[in-house]
Amino acid sequence: MSNQQEQPNISHQVVHLPAPTAWPVVLAFGLMLVFASLVTNPGIAILGGVLVLFGCIGWFREVLPHEHHEQIAVEVETIPIITARPRIARIQVDETHRARLPLETYSVMSGVKGGIAGGIAMIFPAIIYGLISHHSIWYPINLLGGAGIPNWHYASAADLTAFNWTALLVATAIHGVTSILVGLLYGALLPMLPRHPIVLGGVIAPLLWTGLLHSILGIINPFFAQRINWAWFLASQFAFGIVAGLVVARQGRVRTAQYLSFAERIGLETPGLMHERPQDEER
Amino acid sequence: MSDRAIPIGESIDLTPPQGMAAGWLELLHDWVITVDHKKLGIMYIGYALIFLLVGGLEAMLIRVQLAVSNNHFLSPETYNRMFTMHGTTMVFLMGMPIIIGIANYLVPLMIGARDMAFPRLNAFSFWMTAFGGLLLYYSFIGGVGLYGAGSAPDVGWFAYAPLTEKAFSPGHTTDYWALALIVSGFGTIGAAVNIIATVISMRCKGMTLFRMPLLVWLNLVVASLILVTISPLTAAQIMLEIDRYLGGHFFDTQAGGSAIVWIHFFWIFGHPEVYVLVLPAFAIANEIIPVFSRKAIFGYPAMVAASVGIAFISLGVWAHHMFTVGMTSASNTFFVLSTEIVAIPTGIKIFNWLATIWGGKVRFTTAMLFCIGFLFQFLIAGLTGIMLSVAPWDWQLHNSFFVIAHFHYVLVGAITFCLFAAFYYWYPKVTGRMLDEKLGKWHFWLFVIGFHVTFDFMHIPGLLGMPRQIYTYEPGRGWDSWNMIVSLGGAVQAIAVLVFVFNLVWSYSKGTVAGADPWDAWTLEWATTSPPPVYNFAVEPVVSSRRPLWDLKHPEDPDSRYE
Repeated sequence: MSNQQEQPNISHQVVHLPAPTAWPVVLAFGLMLVFASLVTNPGIAILGGVLVLFGCIGWFREVLPHEHHEQIAVEVETIPIITARPRIARIQVDETHRARLPLETYSVMSGVKGGIAGGIAMIFPAIIYGLISHHSIWYPINLLGGAGIPNWHYASAADLTAFNWTALLVATAIHGVTSILVGLLYGALLPMLPRHPIVLGGVIAPLLWTGLLHSILGIINPFFAQRINWAWFLASQFAFGIVAGLVVARQGRVRTAQYLSFAERIGLETPGLMHERPQDEER
Repeated sequence: MSDRAIPIGESIDLTPPQGMAAGWLELLHDWVITVDHKKLGIMYIGYALIFLLVGGLEAMLIRVQLAVSNNHFLSPETYNRMFTMHGTTMVFLMGMPIIIGIANYLVPLMIGARDMAFPRLNAFSFWMTAFGGLLLYYSFIGGVGLYGAGSAPDVGWFAYAPLTEKAFSPGHTTDYWALALIVSGFGTIGAAVNIIATVISMRCKGMTLFRMPLLVWLNLVVASLILVTISPLTAAQIMLEIDRYLGGHFFDTQAGGSAIVWIHFFWIFGHPEVYVLVLPAFAIANEIIPVFSRKAIFGYPAMVAASVGIAFISLGVWAHHMFTVGMTSASNTFFVLSTEIVAIPTGIKIFNWLATIWGGKVRFTTAMLFCIGFLFQFLIAGLTGIMLSVAPWDWQLHNSFFVIAHFHYVLVGAITFCLFAAFYYWYPKVTGRMLDEKLGKWHFWLFVIGFHVTFDFMHIPGLLGMPRQIYTYEPGRGWDSWNMIVSLGGAVQAIAVLVFVFNLVWSYSKGTVAGADPWDAWTLEWATTSPPPVYNFAVEPVVSSRRPLWDLKHPEDPDSRYE
């Protein structure tokens, strides 16, 4: 780009742009004809081939040894920028709006720890149920693990009371992952429960969860629904909820984003509310 | 401040606009030999609009045929051609060219470049795409098909084997389908290479990757996805031609080939293709929603990460189109879970768009209305997508009209709505004239009503067991009324599209003069005149934030102070 100053604020410049060329369309048309010849007439391929050859040669000559350009003269005026809007509006926010949202919560790790502890606690009522009802600790494990074994559609009572490696591995995976995820949920929800968090999280939530599962398990997994003992299921849910709740409640709390201003949290007018860099700071 | 341009780099372009070509022939010559990204972008878009009308006409013929039971409006053979050509046209000749056209026009302007990285390749790519489309439609007169007369492809847009083998598809109709898409595929790959090179190497000073407009980011992601996904389709089509003419047996089940291999190849292309089409729609919403909410986009880094995440995950979900093929339980489980994971980044996007609108000073222009429609409809499309991702549900509804309704909710409810929004938003930049807002509102409301009447009710015959691609049906199955309603909705949509086309033509000469920046927007394309000069910017822009025009308009409170 060359500059030629004529007036104090106006300069004449030249912009270089690639020159228009017909060779791309020639090449594309030739290629299309070559393909079209497969379903029309071999003679079309000859015409297409010639166009491809000329298209390639023409295109190469367009860029070799030097790319063809067209030059366009432009006229540029330098002007100072003055804003037409010297003020910007900022939203006024009432500080009391955040009263019902938790200012502190438990860390992610507290939820994970609670989930692991609750998951371990849950094992005991399940195993006791297996021993009392079916004289085998493997019954509840196989029942859970069997859900993940695709070919175990109609397991007999003998299958469910015998040790099965695959069922154990699947049950461990399902139980472990679910316990940790529910623990995380527990950690996130506990600060929002207004009163008696252990009662709500450890008693009422298991009751609701068991009720929900009881109503829909027949549709989701009829085999599982037929063999489940809901009283013992509820007992194991209580064990999880109470132990996980106690472990989570014993962990230290951390501040939430509610300490930030309303506008910052929802992304409103972020510029101006965030930390401002000094004008002269290097970027 | 001048109405003609916004002073980028404290300089304003005073160059008088170049005159139009003297005659029609000269004008035509100018456009045929052009390598200007803006002209090529307009040609891509014009080409796509023509095929939108053609594909729409085919859809209407399908809907007239299905409106009542035992109908013989179309012959069965013509019906097969119509649904094949409708699907192929809308995906390859309308959807792909229009998103590439929009990227072609906007990406260089938004990054402050004078043109694409490879202008001649750009022209070549367009012409390959255009000639591919012409070759496909030449099949109507050139393809001697199964029925012994000139005909178009009739094997469905996914052309499943072994139907496409020579024994079942004699004549050349299937070859036209394969060859035309190979030809246009070369154009698509060329365009993708060009977009990637342009974004990587042509950005103006100060425009770091994380200062790029989200539209540019998403087109970079889409172009990368195109490179990965078009290749398997082209390879499969070449294998198909080898089967048909050179004695190959890739997909010939009677000679030891596998039809399943074709399905894998097709959907390894086909499912990411959905994201190739929908990510540019997201890109459009990313630009329009903030401007008409008068707020910066909420969660820019999360939006970038979600877009990259969607592209990555989309490469591992293709076999959810194949649950009924009979895969192993492990495969079914993997593809159920991988498909459902897509809901996470798309959910992030929806929340971020809502958060952008929330608390904003919303201007309900036609462009914004289309974006709001997109938000609701894309959510519903996502929910039915999750339903279909569950293998047992899919076993019941695969190849039913429920599936047709689901993917039209994505392709029309999300993508087409955003494309219409893009027209209302950038038409002033391209032509210098505003699209008429009153006609725009008519277009929007007619299209919303038509869309919901068509595609909401289309789910129901699907749930009642109506399979896709059937020529006609017996009365008394409970499908009659629903199909009539769906067809009437299609007619309302057609009227809306005609209003839109009229608006495009009428506003070109009668529309209000737009000026450089009619929306008080923030990205670089609004800094130059409308329409932009051939060189885009007389002085190369320098940017220091994601909203360079905000910085220019508010020197007392620039974004660059905080980013």
